[in-house]
Amino acid sequence: MTFWLVAGLILLLGGLAPAVYLAGRGTALERMVGLQFAGAALVPILLLLAVGFGQPSYLTVPLVLAVLSFAGVLVFVRLFGAAR
Amino acid sequence: MSGARPAVAGAMAVAGVLVCILAALGALVVRDPLDRLHFVTPVTSLGTPLVGVGVAVQLGWRLSAALVLLTVGITVLTGPVLTLAIARELARARGIVPAERSR
Repeated sequence: MTFWLVAGLILLLGGLAPAVYLAGRGTALERMVGLQFAGAALVPILLLLAVGFGQPSYLTVPLVLAVLSFAGVLVFVRLFGAAR
Repeated sequence: MSGARPAVAGAMAVAGVLVCILAALGALVVRDPLDRLHFVTPVTSLGTPLVGVGVAVQLGWRLSAALVLLTVGITVLTGPVLTLAIARELARARGIVPAERSR
């Protein structure tokens, strides 16, 4: 297991797991904080794993995630605002 | 130079991972969602750029490194916007700021 895979695994456990926990507690709007945290933490995780696996083509995944996470969270926030 | 490059890349990646983990632990400790939002900023503005630059240094001067830097740039630009949008809705839900007038 390379250094980059270990770093990605550590960040997966130390960064994404708390974000998933936050996304599962509180009201719908409070869970959005966890969702945004999960999206923000997944980008460096996927960068590290792509280098760890030695597959530069995998770098497209965090790029797409960064764009879609932005649009997704904005749509959710807008819908929550309209629902109130 | 070739000997220093993996060390620099590794050091930046470790620093970025540490920033992200400390921010996640801080978000777990804090109870208020508005306070919790403050801990997302280090991940998008410091942790991800550190990891991204480390990965780009490791990859070297090629197109995939530019892809990494583009991803980091998008994250740095969109992170504060998302934080602001969520904070505004939380503040409206609590009545801290007036609700948007319905059209």
